Amino acid sequence: MSFLEKHQRNVDLTAFDGKIPVHYRYTLGLAGDKFFTAIKKDGKFVGTHCEECDVIYSPPSVYCERCFASLEDSWVELPSTGTVVAFTVVTEDDQGKELDCPQVIAAIQLDGADNTFVHRICDCCIEDLAIGAHVQAVFKPKKERKGTLDDIEYFEIAAE
Amino acid sequence: MSYRKVACVGAGITKFVRRAKETGRELAWEAAKMALDNAGMTLADIDCVVIGTAPDAFDGVHMKGEYLADGSGGFCKPVMRHFVGGGTGVFAPIHGWQHIASGKFETCLVVTEEKMSSCFPAPAGAFITIFDHTTEQPLGPTLIWIFALEMNRYMQRYGLTEADIAKVSVQNKLNAIDHPAAQLGAKITVKDVLESEVLAWPVKRLDISPASDGAAAIVLTSEHKARRITDKPVWVSGVGWALDTAYWATRDLYYPQYVEKAARMAYDMAGIREPNKEIHIAEPYDPFDYKMLHHMEGLLLCKRGEAAKLVADGVTARNGRLPCCPSGGALGVGNPIAATGLMKIIELFLQLRGEAGKRQVPGDPRIGVAQAWGDLMQVGTVVVMSR
Ligand SMILES: [Zn+2]
Repeated sequence: MSFLEKHQRNVDLTAFDGKIPVHYRYTLGLAGDKFFTAIKKDGKFVGTHCEECDVIYSPPSVYCERCFASLEDSWVELPSTGTVVAFTVVTEDDQGKELDCPQVIAAIQLDGADNTFVHRICDCCIEDLAIGAHVQAVFKPKKERKGTLDDIEYFEIAAE
Repeated sequence: MSYRKVACVGAGITKFVRRAKETGRELAWEAAKMALDNAGMTLADIDCVVIGTAPDAFDGVHMKGEYLADGSGGFCKPVMRHFVGGGTGVFAPIHGWQHIASGKFETCLVVTEEKMSSCFPAPAGAFITIFDHTTEQPLGPTLIWIFALEMNRYMQRYGLTEADIAKVSVQNKLNAIDHPAAQLGAKITVKDVLESEVLAWPVKRLDISPASDGAAAIVLTSEHKARRITDKPVWVSGVGWALDTAYWATRDLYYPQYVEKAARMAYDMAGIREPNKEIHIAEPYDPFDYKMLHHMEGLLLCKRGEAAKLVADGVTARNGRLPCCPSGGALGVGNPIAATGLMKIIELFLQLRGEAGKRQVPGDPRIGVAQAWGDLMQVGTVVVMSR
């Protein structure tokens, strides 16, 4: 029975290598386009507001998932600060290899927003980090910004 | 058997395009919202959501059903995603029908989406691993190989020429000019098709539908809900789905058994005994021109080998005795896989309500059939709709 056999090396079997030869180019979409353009041009966060549900989405959505209203014309500006809702300290990469420097990842609720945003926390803040900590986005210098998630260097503990 | 009656009461569709700026979820929302508005309903009226979307590898989003759920109206609702390859779009109303016919739910939002432009260098690359890794992959096959073999076999079996088959492409692209969602409506000639680039003989560029981005949605309800929502419900009166052999290479390529099995199941439920006489309008799946012919035969709309003659004689034209693909089909409207099948269902919905505008077929049609094909090229999905 095959599950009792021990093939320690699968190259000992006649086998074929295969791969799916595709890669992807994703569009930002209608909401993503406005969100990342605001970050790139102005170093600001924007969101969309559903008045019916009184919910602010940032990262935004052009529709309200709760009531399906169009939010295409309901843009609001948000501060670049938020509250840590949860965090983790990552010590291994996706291949199980130890990282040179632990990486701090947090779920952040931007001030005024109802959903959360996942991003890095500066590792210099690790001592003071706690759920409920108030943090602030640090954007890359304007000329280095490309309109992507990496335009935000990280979040750090906000100077109150 | 005691199923509850299920009605379609609303439909929405995005424009089918080569490359959409919108994300897949934004496309899904646009279609779903349009379907709700068309039915005069809100998301609060919806009991459950069904999502049909083809390979995750197209959009490049693993577990695409979950990804599309919020744009499909799935917030805090029972949601199920199904996938039967190219057959997905016509399976979508079947999946929704199951939810309501069973008595479990009163209303179901059915959403289909595909965003093939995410996939580079071409969506075809995502298909290599559908082929057997031992007996086929070493040859470097592409999907078009299957279609070329099948088209050649079909032509040989009935003595058809490439020109006989090209007429389907000419008809459907012409029909699509009148479809507001269409990507490739055009007035072309048989000569244009014959002179287009050969991809794998006998398949040429203009024998094939395009890769597309798009979404489509419908609202299904139980009978008593439907009566309150509209005085023009369109009934899902027959559903069928089947495989023939479980692998593409183990069936005879000239005849689509998978369609006949599914069609007989749907016709039996709808009480249709002579489909060639009782069906007023058909939307067979036409990702390739010869496939519309193949599928007309599998749907028992004509004798085997006779479909090309019906097209040549104008029987399948919009003003013919049996209009086939009055929408413009996958060849003309475009082919965002799962959304294509539901586009065909929406065409029946509009035609049977007399709301198809410039595309309206004459003669007050009352019964229509739509069909799609997919998986490993051996699944048939069939829906009969009536009013
Ligand atoms: Zn809302």
